[in-house]
Amino acid sequence: MKKVMYLEFERCIGCRSCQAACRECGDHEYKERNYVEYVDFMESRQTFPMMCMQCKDPACARVCPANAIQITAEGVVLSAMEEKCIGCRNCTFGCPFGIPKFDFEANKMYKCDMCYDRTKEDIPPMCASVCPSEAIRFIDFDEMQALRRSRARMNLIEGKKPSEGNKWNFVPEFFGVYSE
Amino acid sequence: MSQLVKQDQFVTRDNVKNLHKPGEKLITTHCCYCGMQCGMHIRVEEKTGKVVGVEPRYDWPVTKGKMCPKGVTAYQTIEHPDRITKPLIKKNGQFHAVSWKEALDYIESNFKRIQRDHGKDALSVFGGVSMTNEKCYLVGKYARVGLGTRYIDYNGRFCMSSAAGGMLKTFGIDRGMTLPVPELEHTDCFFLAGSNSAECHPTSTQWLWKAKDKGAKLIVADPREVPIARVADVHLDLKPGTDSALAAGIIHLLIKEGYVDNEYVQERCNNFEELKQSVAHCTPEYTSQVTGVVVEKLVKAAHIYGQSPRSVVMFARGVEQQSKGVHNVQMYITMSLLRGMVGKFASGCGTFTGQGNGQGGREHGQKADLLPGYRKLTDPKAVEYISGVWGIDPKDMPQPGVSAYEMFDLIHNNTIRGMHVICSNPAVSAPNGNYVNEAFKKLDFLVVSDFFLSETAEHADVVLPTTTWAEDDGTTTNLEGRVIRIRKVRDPLGESKPDWEIVSLIAERMGKGKFFPYQTAHEIFEEFRVASKGGPADYYGITWDRIDKEDGVFWPCPSEDHPGSPHMFKERFGTEDGKANLGVFNWTEPGETQSAEYPLVLTTGRVVFHYLSGNQTRRVDFLMEQCPLPYAEMHPELAARNNLANGDKVKLTTRRGHMTVDVRLTKTIRKDTIFIPYHWGKELSVNQLTNPALDPYSRMPEFKVCAVKIEKA
Repeated sequence: MKKVMYLEFERCIGCRSCQAACRECGDHEYKERNYVEYVDFMESRQTFPMMCMQCKDPACARVCPANAIQITAEGVVLSAMEEKCIGCRNCTFGCPFGIPKFDFEANKMYKCDMCYDRTKEDIPPMCASVCPSEAIRFIDFDEMQALRRSRARMNLIEGKKPSEGNKWNFVPEFFGVYSE
Repeated sequence: MSQLVKQDQFVTRDNVKNLHKPGEKLITTHCCYCGMQCGMHIRVEEKTGKVVGVEPRYDWPVTKGKMCPKGVTAYQTIEHPDRITKPLIKKNGQFHAVSWKEALDYIESNFKRIQRDHGKDALSVFGGVSMTNEKCYLVGKYARVGLGTRYIDYNGRFCMSSAAGGMLKTFGIDRGMTLPVPELEHTDCFFLAGSNSAECHPTSTQWLWKAKDKGAKLIVADPREVPIARVADVHLDLKPGTDSALAAGIIHLLIKEGYVDNEYVQERCNNFEELKQSVAHCTPEYTSQVTGVVVEKLVKAAHIYGQSPRSVVMFARGVEQQSKGVHNVQMYITMSLLRGMVGKFASGCGTFTGQGNGQGGREHGQKADLLPGYRKLTDPKAVEYISGVWGIDPKDMPQPGVSAYEMFDLIHNNTIRGMHVICSNPAVSAPNGNYVNEAFKKLDFLVVSDFFLSETAEHADVVLPTTTWAEDDGTTTNLEGRVIRIRKVRDPLGESKPDWEIVSLIAERMGKGKFFPYQTAHEIFEEFRVASKGGPADYYGITWDRIDKEDGVFWPCPSEDHPGSPHMFKERFGTEDGKANLGVFNWTEPGETQSAEYPLVLTTGRVVFHYLSGNQTRRVDFLMEQCPLPYAEMHPELAARNNLANGDKVKLTTRRGHMTVDVRLTKTIRKDTIFIPYHWGKELSVNQLTNPALDPYSRMPEFKVCAVKIEKA
């Protein structure tokens, strides 16, 4: 797998396409493994998508007493193996991002596997495929680095960033509005 | 260069990877919902022909595989258990499944009885534009040739007609966008007016973001801080119904600050002096007083917009669904013209088309006063040409009818006694819902073609089962004016039939079968290519083959060797003298203003999870989980004044009706405005409250503004 997942929360428009698409991934049994939340609906329409960080040393796997959570050679943290999972739900408590979920009917956990059937072929996972605002992207490492650099560059051009409460007031200097 | 790959019904490029599951095939098509017409592949099980899912179409140039939650779940409506699969006849208030023959017999005898007793025009057709060009074209022909009635209009009257009116008045041609969407990446400044684009056209967001990554500025005019306004450089939080004044205020500043492209205006526009005079009094202070937007924001918006080398003005239902919608549109277009933007690269203006085929559907003669190819029914030459194509005597061509909402007036006064509603749900989507539903009850005979039992269908005497978008071939025209291909994914479910086949069958029963000899949708396409030839919306050069090869073809395309027209108005406009008519500002209040009794403003709109009247999306599990019920969005300060807390029930009353919904508090809305989404029917329908004040030119009702009072329920 040559590509990485790249999230930019600021771009999220709260449409929950990623959630709908997660259900559509062939191996996901019509259950979504990610979520989108408002930061605070009273204050702003800002939302953020949350999906598995595919941690290098994942808490969910470390706290699993049955060693049911496997990590692929590419580093994708998979759902618990059905034959090993004992349904203790340790993983759902251990994960700081709230990703592993528990299916009480089947008595087993399920989580984001980055659409492994797609990503192992370098086809973007469903969430990144459909995200209309590109808040979730599946891109080359170099592309990601370039994006991060350009973000810093834009901030420099603008000189400052708007903050809560004054964003409408904010116009970059090069438009000359503040010249007087 | 990537190469086109076409295997059976799967169209892609050789450098694109898709997941092909064993035992499944992919069929390339577009979404059934909004005007973005996002590209997608539908997954079909090869053995059983069952529709099992969706796969992104990464190589579709407009949307790049992106989809909103409606698009992702669209395929779930195809084999939905609620589908109507047999014709239904109502007996003693109950629907009973019958054979097609019985249903057609029943329709024939009633249609003939009504026309014999009350004249040809006692029947009417209410069309819709969430269907292919082929179907829309044939609905127009069905009304005028099959039934011989003048009364045909369509639900675009509640959606796009003000944009169409504004474009016609200014440009002389009504085309949704003057530039193709992928160019938006290179725009320096967007002025979005009355458009909740992130929720209503979510996949357009990627282009705004791409431009923003390069430093583009974003100005959003909306009473609410809609999701896209969250990142705007200026959010003009205007009072609903004051759009023309806002645009006039900006125009005043553009002129005052010297941002007008004088050369362009002189060469290509009329009315500049009149315009200048009409906005002379629109100082920022005056504008602020009318619109409620503070002076500093207006000034900043004008400077940003005025200094941007390439700007795009986009508008949508927020400015159009008003009793002065056409004027609003004209004023926003004028902003674009004054900067000399229309007809140039990555700049111009446009409307976000609401319905999937809102653009194409209104070009082919479903409108009360139009014939195919955007020809005018009042033009004798147009009547003669179309009569020739249809093989009828020009004398038999019916006169222009009335607009959609006015048809309900005609039902109330007994002029219209029978109606055939096709692909529409006016019981939910029309304003002043109680009056409209009374009209349906009053009808002598109502036929509804639909694939789910809509609120309108519940009033019907006969319900005819149609196919979904995925069970028929055809074309649609997206918001850019790009004609694209919809593919048949599976055979019609049960006994359902495509709309074109249904209207042909009824026409045959009415003795007009020889005018409807079609076996396939492609034959209809070939006919309306000819019918549109020479008209403003000329499709003659477009073929289904070209659409695949060229990623869609933009109209006007007068011949097969013509490349199509992605950019409009490069050299001249569609008016008689080739010049654009600038709008001349004339302030009028909305149809209803606040009063002591009704002290607040009610505005309606959409949420990302539902489409139009919700007849489809309310049946999809995922979408209903996200948004099961309407709600009233209001500012906590307004709520506190009325002793309301988050989650309380609030009763809203206007002069026409009342409803009770949950309160949702947020500071992202004006303190004098309440917002309710409109996707539900009956007691959950906010259109019980809305005002049917019509725009004098487009006959668009004023969904976006009415006076309301609230009390704790």
